[in-house]
Amino acid sequence: MNQSPELAELRDLLMNAPEQGTTRIVAILGATLLLVTVLWLVRRRAIDAEFTPIWVLVAGGVVVVASSAGLLRTLTRGIGAWTPSSTVFFFGEVFLVALCLHYSVRLSGLNRQVRTLAQEVALLRAHQDHHVVDMPRPRLSLE
Amino acid sequence: MPSESPVDVGIPRLVLMPAYNEASHIAAAVQAVRTLAPGFLPVVIDDGSLDDTGAIATRSGAFVLTHPFNLGYGAALQTGYHFALRRRAELIVQLDADGQHDPADITALISPIVKEELDLVIGSRFLDPDGYPESRARRLARLILKRVGGSFGVSITDLTSGFQAMNRRVLVCYTGEFFPADYPDADVLVRAKRHGLRIGERPVTMRSADRPSRLFIGLAPVYYFYRLALALWARDRSADHLKTREGDRG
Repeated sequence: MNQSPELAELRDLLMNAPEQGTTRIVAILGATLLLVTVLWLVRRRAIDAEFTPIWVLVAGGVVVVASSAGLLRTLTRGIGAWTPSSTVFFFGEVFLVALCLHYSVRLSGLNRQVRTLAQEVALLRAHQDHHVVDMPRPRLSLE
Repeated sequence: MPSESPVDVGIPRLVLMPAYNEASHIAAAVQAVRTLAPGFLPVVIDDGSLDDTGAIATRSGAFVLTHPFNLGYGAALQTGYHFALRRRAELIVQLDADGQHDPADITALISPIVKEELDLVIGSRFLDPDGYPESRARRLARLILKRVGGSFGVSITDLTSGFQAMNRRVLVCYTGEFFPADYPDADVLVRAKRHGLRIGERPVTMRSADRPSRLFIGLAPVYYFYRLALALWARDRSADHLKTREGDRG
């Protein structure tokens, strides 16, 4: 797409703006906090270990992007964005939408399983109750 | 704690009655079935009621299946279908536990099945034009549903009727994964039609329900038709299921 000289200049200015060291530190701290929180939840058995790899990968990805000066800029140029922050938000939103879809699929499957289990419970309970009633009662003797 | 039932659970004719918080109606409904359809075993599916529906139904002489928690009207019906299939029932009637349906109509409803003319018979309150009062909104919804059903080859005047009679072939179909947990209406009949089941209808009398129809509360109609469209569009995975089930019929 053709851009006017002013816009091209503005884009170059944004792309080449010096990065704040504090931004990197905040990103790395945030990723570390996420990782610690996930591990703490696993330890408390609030999250099963099978659900943790995705969060560990996210935290690791944030650390890599924050540590590498050129990676985020390369990604930004690759997707045609103007600022590195736009790239971060874009991938963040894509990730969240994908995650929501994934959990919707899992929830639907679990919903079906719970329904089948509850129906089985009802049928087995009825079977058990009537089986007990049908059993011959022991004769009691006072002698 | 085991509940005692005075009825013979081996009977091949069942009346399935899904019930949720129907303590005030269930005894009369079960009694009506026992009196007016003496050859049928009333089976109440207590869908996790918070009141004494299950206990009252048991005392009234029904065989009771109890969900551990509320699953929905469709899921309750399906539990009954599973039960009927496992008990090798040959003739099954389903009716609502709120007394809206008259068990005196059961004989007319099962007649085409006994004669092996149909597999599934819907009790229609609209075959008699003066038989059931309906609002304009309800009439509109019914006509839309009828048109939808008709476009899929199901020409039934009362697609939301819960008063139905069926044979074992229908049970095999209805225990499939596609059967909805909430409202098994037109989409289910379309599936049944696709599976080659013979569907018809007979006139029945129904009294108006005490509670307003679920179809006309808030945004429920919008959701209902949205869900119906999705259900009709969804891929039919029941064919494999049916093959498996047919093998299990014994």
